[in-house]
Amino acid sequence: MIYAGIDAGSRTIKVVLMASKGNRIIASGIADQGIDQERLAMDIFKRLISSSGKGRKDISRIVATGYGRNAISSADLAVTEITCQAAGVRLLCPQARTVVEIGGQDSKLIRLEADGSVRDFDMNDRCAAGTGRFLELVAARLGVGLDKFGELAGRSENPAVISSMCAVFAETEIIGLLAGGASPADIAAGVRDAVASRLTALAGGRLDDPIVLTGGVAMIPGLADVIAKVLDRQVQVSARPQYTGAIGAAIIACSRPEHSP
Amino acid sequence: MKPKLAKITLDQWDARYEELKSAGLAEPFYGGPLRRHVLDGDLRLADLKFDDSPAALRLWNFLLSEEDRLFSARDGGKKIVGAMKDLGTVPVMALGLPNVVAFYPDGAWWIPCVMRLGDELLGIAQSMGAGESFCPVRAMLAAFATEGHFPIPDLLTCSVGATCDDFSAIAQRLTDFRQSILWWEIPARRVPQVGEEAVDLPGGLTAPVSQVRFVREELERVRRAIEDMAGAKLDDAALADGIAKANGIRRLLDELRYKAYTTTPCPMPAIEMLVAEMLAIHFCSDRQECQAVLEELLAEVNRRIAAGLGVQKADAAGIFVVNPPADLRLMNLLEDCGGRVCGSDYMFGHALDEIPPDVEPMEALARTALADPMAGPAGQRADRILRDAEAFGAEAVLICRIPGASHCATEGAVIAGAVEASASLPVVEIEVPPLIDSVRPNIQTRIEALVETARRARRRRK
Repeated sequence: MIYAGIDAGSRTIKVVLMASKGNRIIASGIADQGIDQERLAMDIFKRLISSSGKGRKDISRIVATGYGRNAISSADLAVTEITCQAAGVRLLCPQARTVVEIGGQDSKLIRLEADGSVRDFDMNDRCAAGTGRFLELVAARLGVGLDKFGELAGRSENPAVISSMCAVFAETEIIGLLAGGASPADIAAGVRDAVASRLTALAGGRLDDPIVLTGGVAMIPGLADVIAKVLDRQVQVSARPQYTGAIGAAIIACSRPEHSP
Repeated sequence: MKPKLAKITLDQWDARYEELKSAGLAEPFYGGPLRRHVLDGDLRLADLKFDDSPAALRLWNFLLSEEDRLFSARDGGKKIVGAMKDLGTVPVMALGLPNVVAFYPDGAWWIPCVMRLGDELLGIAQSMGAGESFCPVRAMLAAFATEGHFPIPDLLTCSVGATCDDFSAIAQRLTDFRQSILWWEIPARRVPQVGEEAVDLPGGLTAPVSQVRFVREELERVRRAIEDMAGAKLDDAALADGIAKANGIRRLLDELRYKAYTTTPCPMPAIEMLVAEMLAIHFCSDRQECQAVLEELLAEVNRRIAAGLGVQKADAAGIFVVNPPADLRLMNLLEDCGGRVCGSDYMFGHALDEIPPDVEPMEALARTALADPMAGPAGQRADRILRDAEAFGAEAVLICRIPGASHCATEGAVIAGAVEASASLPVVEIEVPPLIDSVRPNIQTRIEALVETARRARRRRK
């Protein structure tokens, strides 16, 4: 039996096909988010089915998650990314007790029970600071892609201090720093450090070890080390951090319906 | 399986109203279709889902006709008391006199939500120096300025001190309109010291006798001011009568809350229950009618319980709600996300407790006033929430933070910490602005995740 998880995030859509036997990932795909989420998701979905040599009838159940989960009408069930992140991390890092997920437009901190289910969670309120979108804006302002952001920050010798926690004001602050002669590397490092610092406020001291970092932002080189330093805890980056939510959705799709959230 | 009762939209209420009228619906003087309030500017009603019973219609009509009632009272020569930052004491006193009507100007905090900012009250308040850094109750300041939402009271009282810094700052600006205010002070309630003479307060609290005596003296000033305004004596017999009637409403609400919050399936929607609870503070300026409204609502709940009918699925996650949301749609959203209300603390728990009937009236009112949750440590409020959450069988706690409200900034963390530590219930704190549109996806995700977490924990317990 094959199941599918679709994570319709704010920046990208991820799809995972999973065989129920052993929760084995058969295929995965990603695309940038757009206006027609359903079509984008289904394009990836069909491509993955085709490349796996399967047909639509082979997919027993689809679970959608992420910001656009309710827009995926093809899904049998919509489940929040909080529950799906927990399920995904349970597969990828079974010992984890805290998940830090930095996504495109929000950050989440999820504490887990010993069996991997959600104990409690918190999310940033309405501000984009400390999220993937924020980093993307900064990277664009510094003239690099998000994929090069970590590398740029790594070259810093004297990280700038970014005092504003508002994405808009932070951008203004960055313009001022650039005008004042600060190097793009120092600014990138300052922003990276600010993102990590913001997590401490979200955590509020409620962190259980081991801590796992997920979400697309987790792929930025060096970010996990900075978060670990700020939190004064060891932080492990999940395998396939961008796909953790979609994997979790596929796992929930594999579960018997009565075990769904 | 019993059918689930439908919650209906405003459009559906139009048809439902015609159906009820054709069937002979008898209405009070403020009756009529809900649609008329939208035509008066209460645009938000078009976005809400309502209970479809005549009892709910009467409840909404009663709530939304307060303005008419107050202007009518003024035209009829009655004296009007505006009882600010008073969660259930001064109205009990004021309504002891037949020619006096009391109302709750703070209720204006919901006008921007109900009118979808159509009245621009928040903008007006901002132009008067009360911007976003203040609680949405700043809308009240603008309502006084526009004089369109309630008549300017003959007597305006406001509790001050340990109640709410934001409110005091906002109320002080009313003097700009040469509106005199009778301030009466509530001290910060404290635990009696060893050997200090103490007295029990409603809600299982205690306080030093000296503090109760102080509040009583403050309330005596209010009593004299009401007497001066009304030109009549507000004697102990009238006060005792008022207390007995207020207690009647509190007992009604106690039964209504218990039944609505503990019965599965849930017999009454969250939003109607929120409105019903709010009546405890101020009776919508008509205590007698308030009682009739609540009696009809309770009868409807009893009827549904007997028939096994509910407005939510039986597996809805039981959520204890802390603080009233600034946008009423949140109560609908909570249910749309698979939750149901299992208990509430809308910051006026003491207005739901019986006023002590066995002591002198002014002593009883002083004890009740001092039991205001905002006058004591957040930990005491958290204790009550824990106690009530257990009694109502809540499976999770949702704390609604009111943007700009200074007490929320500190209380939320204390309450959340207590719930996590003592009750091991999942708890989420969310900020609810007067219009949630811009943050709705974020809020929805958190409520849905709270429901998912509560259900998962339920399965784990089995």
